[in-house]
Amino acid sequence: MSDTTEVEEAEGGPVRFMQQHIALDYVMRVSPIATRFAEGLHRGVILGRRCPSCSLVFVPPRTFCNICTVAMGDSQELEVTDRGMVTAFTILTPIQYHGQQERQDYALASILLDGADGTVGQQRLLDLPLEQVRTGLRVEAVWASEDDRRGDGGGAMGFGFGSAITGWKPTGEPDADPASYAEHAL
Amino acid sequence: MCSTAAVTSGESTYTLELPYRRSVGPVVGAFLTGLRDATVLGSRTAAGRVIVPALEYDPDTGDEVSDLVPVGSAGVVTTWAWVPEPLRKHPLDRPFAWALVQLDGADTSLLHALDVGSIDDVSTGMRVQIRWRAERQGHMTDIECYEPEGAS
Amino acid sequence: MRDVAVVSFAQAPTSSTPVSDTEAQMLFPVVAEAMERSGLRRDEIGFTCSGSADYLAGQSFAFVGNLEVTGAWPPISESHVEMDGAWALYEAWVHLQSGHVDSALVFGSGISSRGDLREVLCLQNDPYYLMPLWADHVSLAALQARAVLDATGKGERDLAEIAARCRRSAVANPFAQRFADVTADDLLAEPYAVAPLRTGDCPPVSDGAAAVVLVAGDRAREVCEHPAWIRGLDHRIEPHYPGLRDLTVSESTRLAGEAAGVGDRPIDVAELSSSFSHEELLLRAALGLGDAVDVNPSGGPLAANPVMATGLTRIGEAARQIHDGHATRTLGHATSGPCLQQNLVCVLEGDRS
Repeated sequence: MSDTTEVEEAEGGPVRFMQQHIALDYVMRVSPIATRFAEGLHRGVILGRRCPSCSLVFVPPRTFCNICTVAMGDSQELEVTDRGMVTAFTILTPIQYHGQQERQDYALASILLDGADGTVGQQRLLDLPLEQVRTGLRVEAVWASEDDRRGDGGGAMGFGFGSAITGWKPTGEPDADPASYAEHAL
Repeated sequence: MCSTAAVTSGESTYTLELPYRRSVGPVVGAFLTGLRDATVLGSRTAAGRVIVPALEYDPDTGDEVSDLVPVGSAGVVTTWAWVPEPLRKHPLDRPFAWALVQLDGADTSLLHALDVGSIDDVSTGMRVQIRWRAERQGHMTDIECYEPEGAS
Repeated sequence: MRDVAVVSFAQAPTSSTPVSDTEAQMLFPVVAEAMERSGLRRDEIGFTCSGSADYLAGQSFAFVGNLEVTGAWPPISESHVEMDGAWALYEAWVHLQSGHVDSALVFGSGISSRGDLREVLCLQNDPYYLMPLWADHVSLAALQARAVLDATGKGERDLAEIAARCRRSAVANPFAQRFADVTADDLLAEPYAVAPLRTGDCPPVSDGAAAVVLVAGDRAREVCEHPAWIRGLDHRIEPHYPGLRDLTVSESTRLAGEAAGVGDRPIDVAELSSSFSHEELLLRAALGLGDAVDVNPSGGPLAANPVMATGLTRIGEAARQIHDGHATRTLGHATSGPCLQQNLVCVLEGDRS
């Protein structure tokens, strides 16, 4: 990709600004554990790992517990169900900055899956008007067809689910008791 | 701000784009304005040292420098390097030399590409001149490159 | 000045194969090993400081993710520098001098292979005068190399001798990436990267990490048999624009070395961050290191250059010589910015019997 540089100035007047468009290419390699998580998603399974020291269950799975600084390996792996509750959410009005792809208001939610101890964030909610988005809402995953399931390499957006899970829809169950997610702020 | 390319075999590539609109102030701005006018300006310090490219502060005393003076468009190569395979973002798309050049009247050297055909055509101490771009905007690339003095 | 020692050091192995782990995953075993070797518990660490560059990672705030390796719960006192981990060590040492804390964990890391390092490092350059030219760090180093050769009368063979020696030394370093029993003639046959620098005169692109633990006072002797005491630590910076500087000397290294007391007593081993072969000539001269000094027995950055950990690794290697009982007085050097713009010197000593 080439850089463009332009200069903005008043007609013939002193130069006051310099435009500089920098473009740097990066290769992000998918870590072995993110590949393992993606393979699970392809099978329609959400994997996690449990710390051998504090027993916290992490989804997506990690190679070390960041509370205990203890390594977690394959023997700490387990499957987590694909349903849980919304613990936090935000409604975004997308600013049309360079590169923005969203055009309308949308919600992103953090979801505490049943059996997991950490939430998965940045998740889309489906079949739900924005004004009905709320904490405690019970949701379940809407899986993409098997051919379309690809993890996203554990990137910061999407928490590694990639295209495997299209979003989360209400289960119809009564809302969860706030006490059950009181310790999950994000 | 980034654009993503296809995911294949455990790798993804993306381009991180950083669009800047940099304010240049009265000194750097004056230097860039000078380039637009095919003139190189230097900052003259209280001690009489002429610094090119123009600096806002005297590196020896820390004092603000506001005295800008023109220097020549030709000078002497103080050091050089030869690029056999230019990177895509280098100033020239063919093998070239980098040169730090002390322009006539300046006490420091200005970096730019030197357009010579081979490593044998560049040497410390040789005289070179600026090849000005035909259309200039007030940017370092208003200087297209250096060339041997008298070349054009 | 308060006595502070390096009591442990760990580094990641480097290789020509890019890492696919995340930076935190790459760091975790390195920090864990440094902590284990230190004999300190996590809750005994008073201060943590790290060095890294988000532009290497290609992600803003990437360094925050790295903190997970410290187990920052309960919350810890920490800081970060967008620089080589050697400067994180400097900040930690200053913190220890204050007397508020008695130990510190320091680490540095970088995955250079993600981007094109020659483009990424252009972002450290002056945005108005240098960035538009994309004058990369190899090109700028080559300009300095030419100036050094012109001024000293040395030639490309002298550079190749340095590069070959480093590569041979690295054969004994299990963490080094580029090691081989080569001669100057072998390296002189390689093509120019940017003349006068050939590919062997330039560092490899390395992914890696390093960590050290610092302890103040007598406790260092309780946890470490041969603590490497920091007897001097200083860093200096020169103006940025290469055309403004005398590229034939490293004045900032000379001043930092003087302030760190390099000349007070003979140095046994010096680990220098000479990423390009000509830089060893400049740094030796600036620090007054004669032929008796063993320079870069690890192979130095020409054998492995994990940017953001390279300088910290030099200090760690210099400390290890004392830990292992191989030397009594050593030196670790770190650098930052184009053409050795900024330089840090750390002088280490073992207990004198």
